[in-house]
Amino acid sequence: MTETMKAESTQAHSRFSLWRPSNQSLLAYLLMLPAVLITLAVIAYPIVSAIDLSFQEIKIVQVGRERFPWTLANYAHLFTSSEFWKATWVTLKLVTIATLGCLVLGLSTAMLVNQRFRGRTIARILVALPWAVPSVMAAVIWWWMFDSSFGLINWLLVKAHIISSPIAWFSSPTTAFFVICVVMIWKGYPFVSVMLLAGLQSIPGDLYEAAQIDGANTWNRFRYITLPSLSPVMGIALILVILWVFRDFAIIWLLTGGGPIGATRTLAIMTYEQAFGFYNMGYAASIGMVTLVISLIASIVMIRRFSTSIY
Amino acid sequence: MYKKVLLFILLAGMLLTVAACTGAQPAADTAQTDGTGGAADATGAPIVLKFISWQVDESGVGDWWNKAIAEFESAHPGVKIEFTKVGRDQYVDTMTTLFVSGDAPEIVHLASFEYPQFADQGWLEDLDPWVEQSDLDLNGWAGQEKCVWNGETDCIMLLYFGFVMVYNQGMFEEAGLDVPTNYEEYLAAARALTKDTDGDGIIEQFGTGHHTVAGNQYLTEMLNYVVDTGAYWTDAEGKAAVNTPEMIEALGHWKTILQENLTPLDLGAGDIRQLLAEGKIAMHPDGPWIWGIVKGAEPEVFEQLKFARVPFTVPVGGSSNVIAMKKDMSQEKKELVWDFIELITSQPYQEDFALLGGMPAPRPNAVPANIYEEVPHFDLLVEAQQEAAAAGIDRLPKGLETDYNEFAKIVIEQMQNMIINDLPPEEVANTLQQLTEELQARE
Amino acid sequence: MNALKKKAGRVLLYVTVVFTCIVLVFPVYWMFNTSLAPTMQLRAFPPRFFPVDPQWNIYAKVLFERPMPTWLLNSTIVALGATMISMVVSVLAGYSLSRYRVKGSKGVGIFILTSRMLPATLIVIPLFVLFRQANLIGSLWSLVIAHTTFIIPFATWMLKGYFDSIPVDLEEAAMIDGCNPISALYRVILPLSAPGIAATALYGFILSWDDFVYARTFLASRQSAWTVTVGISTIKGEYITGWNEIMAAALLGALPILVMYLFLERYLVGGLSAGAVK
Repeated sequence: MTETMKAESTQAHSRFSLWRPSNQSLLAYLLMLPAVLITLAVIAYPIVSAIDLSFQEIKIVQVGRERFPWTLANYAHLFTSSEFWKATWVTLKLVTIATLGCLVLGLSTAMLVNQRFRGRTIARILVALPWAVPSVMAAVIWWWMFDSSFGLINWLLVKAHIISSPIAWFSSPTTAFFVICVVMIWKGYPFVSVMLLAGLQSIPGDLYEAAQIDGANTWNRFRYITLPSLSPVMGIALILVILWVFRDFAIIWLLTGGGPIGATRTLAIMTYEQAFGFYNMGYAASIGMVTLVISLIASIVMIRRFSTSIY
Repeated sequence: MYKKVLLFILLAGMLLTVAACTGAQPAADTAQTDGTGGAADATGAPIVLKFISWQVDESGVGDWWNKAIAEFESAHPGVKIEFTKVGRDQYVDTMTTLFVSGDAPEIVHLASFEYPQFADQGWLEDLDPWVEQSDLDLNGWAGQEKCVWNGETDCIMLLYFGFVMVYNQGMFEEAGLDVPTNYEEYLAAARALTKDTDGDGIIEQFGTGHHTVAGNQYLTEMLNYVVDTGAYWTDAEGKAAVNTPEMIEALGHWKTILQENLTPLDLGAGDIRQLLAEGKIAMHPDGPWIWGIVKGAEPEVFEQLKFARVPFTVPVGGSSNVIAMKKDMSQEKKELVWDFIELITSQPYQEDFALLGGMPAPRPNAVPANIYEEVPHFDLLVEAQQEAAAAGIDRLPKGLETDYNEFAKIVIEQMQNMIINDLPPEEVANTLQQLTEELQARE
Repeated sequence: MNALKKKAGRVLLYVTVVFTCIVLVFPVYWMFNTSLAPTMQLRAFPPRFFPVDPQWNIYAKVLFERPMPTWLLNSTIVALGATMISMVVSVLAGYSLSRYRVKGSKGVGIFILTSRMLPATLIVIPLFVLFRQANLIGSLWSLVIAHTTFIIPFATWMLKGYFDSIPVDLEEAAMIDGCNPISALYRVILPLSAPGIAATALYGFILSWDDFVYARTFLASRQSAWTVTVGISTIKGEYITGWNEIMAAALLGALPILVMYLFLERYLVGGLSAGAVK
């Protein structure tokens, strides 16, 4: 195939104008085309049909059924529903805590394995290992460890005299939310860690040496050299982690299903529950649309903020 | 221009080549769909009837299904039944999606509390004409009235059950307790048998066992206490009846069991049954299917596990699961599906169901001679079934049939609220009454 | 004194490293340990921290009494297919976004990125209807296509960043030697970006393997087409839950990714973030 292409291109070079700088934009568009087409085909149609759905009071969508009249009822219901506002609040809380957790744990592990010591290669592999555990499996294993009656974590905490009797982790809003945060952070931090490690490696060593000569202590070196140098890569990691937490379904669904009393019901969970649990697909679509708008705004703000490092 | 087109084709070709090299070859064998229906005989390709169930690999009932499928296939050469398992916790979602997309199985297997939602959508064939022109007599067929939706018979009942209690005899003997026969004795026994056996602060043995995570099963477990006090979610007209004195008492009982941790918390029914089989739970009210789990316990636990009547005034009972026919398909396929339904509802297969599944079959008098060898507690099951039927108990509340999932969510959240915030049952009953009325008013 | 302090620092470092690794990797070990425990000891107190009486036959049971090999194969086919298609598409798009400043390229970049923000729970129904019309339900192709839609945005973005970090002079030199932009991409850029491509492909592979919502919606009706995540979620069946079996299945389901990760780990650092680090 390469041969054909080469033949094609040599031949082209004499007559075909596409390679010429004047036609670069055409080439640029052609190269983007497959990505745009695929994205359009499998994203645009669902979005349009989701928008359409969100304006219909429809229970179950079915091919070939007559359509329902357009109405704002779903959105009206949504904005007056305390459940929706609670879910929005839970989502924001989870996004903030889980993202911060991922950043802190990611940064500290990255700095740790950036030190020079024997066995560093193995440590680097181990530190990012949870990344390679699929979400469904991660949820399953943590569920087993946090089991309220026979779980390992309760046993360890009781033995260490941190608690006097086992905690029913999934029966209280605070602990259930805590468990979700722990699992999200465990699954999400390795990505941040790997990205930040690369960032750390690209900071020139002489910067630190110069600072040391100037008498800067460890904290100041971290504050004035490490953090600023890492900020672009941190920005990207931040956006990706936030989007991931925002959209995640498997972990929360398998661990708590959104409960208890909605303490872990994020917008993604609420969308699914309304669509497949209660067959309010029109209503579910309206929740989904609001979620989409929120994440769009958040990403645009952040892309602006970090735009220098991306575009 | 020509060159530009050529370049584009080249790029597309490159994509396709890569795609084809790596592609999903097994997809080839998956092209079977509805289209093959009528033309199947002409081309010699087999007709495929899809049959999705959660019972595929369940011991007992699963074997029964497989036996029926094998017999059906040998009686109908050129017809294949594709028997696929979908787990219970994702069953409704999957079936809904399949119906929505027109890809539903021809043979429709549903839990009876899910069935109204599908019947209400008009997805299921009216079976009345089919029953009429066949030998199937549905008189006295346990629970069959639950299959009538909007005046049509849209399904055949496969199981109508009553709860029994499995208890661990060894634990009772050790504590010098008698098997309870009412709620007070039951509560006392549950308290006495919930023990931290080695004094490490962690309870190792629980008095009772309930499913306490979200899902419809939560309501079934609560129902033990609800029917005990004579309460129910709705009245005879299907109107919400949650703030009655009986219901308040029942909610109080449920609160006690959970708050005192007399059951392991945050576990699903599968885990609870496993704990029973491991000898970590003293009492467990459950349906006749629990026999399969008891039989699978380690020998030393198996010896201890005994059956008794539930210690409540009436056992929980009701319809369990149904078989139905997809409406939107060819007459030829409908006839085949009906043949299959006739086969499994026939006298020999109903007797087999009792034997293999260890539960009373819905067909009247489908009791094989050797049932007591296979299922020693069979009489108990029949009594529980009749008692529940006489009291008119069902898991699916009248007037909430198509909103059962949402109703379940409301109840569960209010129960969690009651336990977490230690609210009095009266207050919770009032909130629940109001929320249920709102739910019903939305229709 | 100073030497002693230095030595104490070293010890502290090693202790921290070992402790961190143990805590973070422990859940994976616990999964392994649980999978080997005899059923009656799963909930024993005190818990057994090492497999004293390993029940290896549980793996045979999971592998041969269930269609686990088929599920693993399906996951592999889908993940490979989706990753490879995505990589070809993304290399082209990423290259274009990195090298050409044309009108609308920023818009295209953002458009591709935003498709990653769609809640999967929202678009799964319309997608299902779409695939149904194309007769792709129950076919692995439906997943391959669906997965490319969430790998392409990520991969395009990451590769653009990686290409940005490669000096343009190299291609210009190649083009003076008679290469056109495509062959320059093929001969100069691709070999140079091998680590970036490997890292992005690994990430894409993991994303695809990880998927649960789409797989269970599109393939539910055909057990022979299930991926491993769907398979494992159904082992957690209704009537009884055997945790050693679930753990063994989960570990087997995660194993291919873990192995790939071990081999490709060295490309990850740098590969994923070159663009952002620059």
